[in-house]
Amino acid sequence: MQNTFIAKNPSVLWFLLGLSLFTVIVSICSEAAGTALISTSFLKTLGKTLCLCLVAVAMDVVWGYCGILSLGHFAFFGIGGYAMGMWLMYDRTKDIVVASLENNILPATMDEITDAIGAQIFGVVGSFDFPLIWAFSHSLTLQLLAVILVPGLLALVFGWLAFRSRVAGVYLSILTQAMTLALSLYFFQNDTGLRGNNGLSGLQNIPGLETVSQATLSLWFFWASAVALAAGYLLFAWMTSGKFGSVVRAIRDNEARVRFLGYHVESYKLCIFTTTAMVAGVAGALYYPQAGIINPAEIAPMASIYLAVWVAIGGRGRLYGAVIGAAVVSLMSSWFTGGSAPDINLGIYVVQWTDWWLMLLGLTFVAVTLFFPKGIGGLFDLIPRKGDRR
Amino acid sequence: MSTLLEVSGISVSFDGFKAINNLSIQIAEPELRAIIGPNGAGKTTFMDIVTGKTKPDEGYVIWGEKSVSLLGMSESQIAQAGIGRKFQKPTVFEAQTVRENITMALKNPRRPFDLLFNKAAANTEDRVRAISDDIGLTDALDLVSGALSHGQKQWLEIGMLLAQDPRLLLVDEPAAGMSAVEREQTTDILVRAAKTRAVVVVEHDMDFIRRLNCKVTVLHQGSVLAEGSLDHVTQNRDVIDVYLGR
Repeated sequence: MQNTFIAKNPSVLWFLLGLSLFTVIVSICSEAAGTALISTSFLKTLGKTLCLCLVAVAMDVVWGYCGILSLGHFAFFGIGGYAMGMWLMYDRTKDIVVASLENNILPATMDEITDAIGAQIFGVVGSFDFPLIWAFSHSLTLQLLAVILVPGLLALVFGWLAFRSRVAGVYLSILTQAMTLALSLYFFQNDTGLRGNNGLSGLQNIPGLETVSQATLSLWFFWASAVALAAGYLLFAWMTSGKFGSVVRAIRDNEARVRFLGYHVESYKLCIFTTTAMVAGVAGALYYPQAGIINPAEIAPMASIYLAVWVAIGGRGRLYGAVIGAAVVSLMSSWFTGGSAPDINLGIYVVQWTDWWLMLLGLTFVAVTLFFPKGIGGLFDLIPRKGDRR
Repeated sequence: MSTLLEVSGISVSFDGFKAINNLSIQIAEPELRAIIGPNGAGKTTFMDIVTGKTKPDEGYVIWGEKSVSLLGMSESQIAQAGIGRKFQKPTVFEAQTVRENITMALKNPRRPFDLLFNKAAANTEDRVRAISDDIGLTDALDLVSGALSHGQKQWLEIGMLLAQDPRLLLVDEPAAGMSAVEREQTTDILVRAAKTRAVVVVEHDMDFIRRLNCKVTVLHQGSVLAEGSLDHVTQNRDVIDVYLGR
């Protein structure tokens, strides 16, 4: 069975080989390996890029395969990041508090410790009490479950309501965008208990691993991201091939016809929407410890629109297209906006890429949509294949 | 022959226009039935109501031995109950191969997890082969269905209907845009199918109807104008007025 799966999807094998090769090369070049050809900060960028590739693959499945243009998948990514960040922040603050209270004559009670942690974390928004939302933050296991379950549950409820009422097309996109906006506004509020616009910070410090250097830690996260991307890619390649994939693509092309074939279209959409949201949550949980900080601006609607742009540029409806799009565009984006791109002096005007990058991206998006609807991934179609009939 | 589908007293109006007006039709099993009528007679709306796409304002649609009402069911439930439909415009999934199209239509469990874990997919290959032989597309099984000719797409869609193994087939203008030879083959497929199940064909083309050689229902302004053999209805005064009086 596995044999035929790979045989039917040769691109999966190529992708996994490429990813492994990339991971090995980057590992050898990392500071932790001693060669230090790649700086730790760039290693983090690469690790983060892999997470973005993973969420882009999820976006491609929901949009490119199932035809649902969701402008909310980055919100699921952010929720995953928050769920992970809550444990990281709680546990690390606890370590610090416990260490500082050790010198007291009387040993600190549990309540005192909890109060001190609360004051440390929520002092910035003028509060000391733990909000209900942090009830599980002491447990890594529960927060890891939340990384998957919270986005999954949100997607399930939202999707059920939307698909059941037969909301589709551009109206659904608007609805998902509204959800994202509402969510980011909610996270911005201090009352929510997620530190408002300060977000969660210090996430790069992993509790219990203080002795491990950031160079090594970054490499571990890079590996974890690569494994997650490989696993996610395999999962979605499996889902989108075979009969299930056939029905999902049919829904994209003609939903009504699939209904008359006797398929309950809503269940399929819900299945895809929820699974991709959960994978997006995992990607976020791996991304933000490498970024070090998460705040509500990350889940603003703009981020989800970028996600759609990456997938469109990379090539919708093929998983590796999404990976290429996310990697190329997000790496170029950090190169252009990082100030390393040389300015262009036009004599009368100096084009500074930090300002003009978005313009370039926008034009690229328009050009791709108009002239290369298959995106960068479409280039692979130019390779003649054995047994190709056309 | 027992009654399979009983449509009684249905009416439906769109923005004040009565598309179907107190329409009653009974279909037996097995039976081949042709429905004819001028444009706007309500032929397609009738199919929409039976397949659950449109809800009637009044009336009943009763199905099968257990006399279940179809009105409370969704499109997919009705399809699973055994009603297949072919649209006027051939609607196959053009980005997928003929094999994938037929496989999707095969009568199998249809819940997402059944498909993901490939349950009850016994002898799929043989069943696909049987269908494709029936519609003459065995050589094209691995072709992308978008590459098929118009007539072949029509057959593929009929094949997908047969693959569903429905008790009632609703076929909307199967011969539209077909050559004379293709029409003949289509008639054969339909007549063969009607030996074991109910087939309702909506068609404009009188020659085509004549070859089907079956009971004919004439619709006009949303209700039944005449019913009987083709010769019987073509001699009916009202029918002549409706068809020739315009």
